[in-house]
Amino acid sequence: MSSLVKCPHCGLRPREEFTIRGEVATPRPAAGADEAAWFDHVYLRDNPRGEHREYWHHSGGCRRWLVLSRNTLTHETSEVVDASTLKSEGGA
Amino acid sequence: MRDYPLENRYAFPAHEVAFNKGASISLSPVKGGFVVHVLGDAKSDEAALKQTINKIAPELGTDVRGHSPNQWFWVGSVDISNDRLAEISAALHPQFVMTDQTHGRVRMKLSGPSSRVVLAKGTMVDLSPDLFAIGQSAMTQIGHIGAMITRVADDSFELIVLRSFAGSLWDELQHMAAEFSHG
Repeated sequence: MSSLVKCPHCGLRPREEFTIRGEVATPRPAAGADEAAWFDHVYLRDNPRGEHREYWHHSGGCRRWLVLSRNTLTHETSEVVDASTLKSEGGA
Repeated sequence: MRDYPLENRYAFPAHEVAFNKGASISLSPVKGGFVVHVLGDAKSDEAALKQTINKIAPELGTDVRGHSPNQWFWVGSVDISNDRLAEISAALHPQFVMTDQTHGRVRMKLSGPSSRVVLAKGTMVDLSPDLFAIGQSAMTQIGHIGAMITRVADDSFELIVLRSFAGSLWDELQHMAAEFSHG
């Protein structure tokens, strides 16, 4: 049985229609930040047990980038929003 | 001078009768007409697009099928010339931008009492009559082929697919419908 994701544009769709990019990284460090901050931003990823925010691309549907909260333990997805809403959060 | 003559090839299999007469399913190519991809700015909506089309080209109809926020396929059964398309494109500006997809995306029609059962083998979208109204569209995948499904009548669905996938989808639908193909 496939897991279902509620795309904010298309409604309930199977996981097979999506491409997963990975964790929503912390906001980009300032240009002059030290090497450790950049190394962390570019290479280090969290691997949490529980809630995780990820970029998903609805490649088989509306072709929009989405931000999805997924529980890595239960695979339950809670909030799914269009990635453009991150702009107002100041992240990306 | 080009080195070889350009060949106009048909996107569907040469013999296009998919099923016996009297079968509970039928599949046929939709020939002619146009498919235009329309992109709107962030504030645009379907009502505004239909209104604009009605103003500049009422003879072409306002069959617009949304596949993404601010993006639509505008579909019609009339053949339009390149000049007329350029005229329409200029008139749609600047709120909407359009690209002719007539030769890039083709249409086929799957109808009959068994059409929902057949499509359910390939797509996850719930096509029940009470949930998927006539005129409603969904951009999805049929098997691994990206396609747009539109309900055009009671038991009738139109599929828009990239031209180069038309043959594969046609083939796949025939397999999916094999159990209903004998009248």
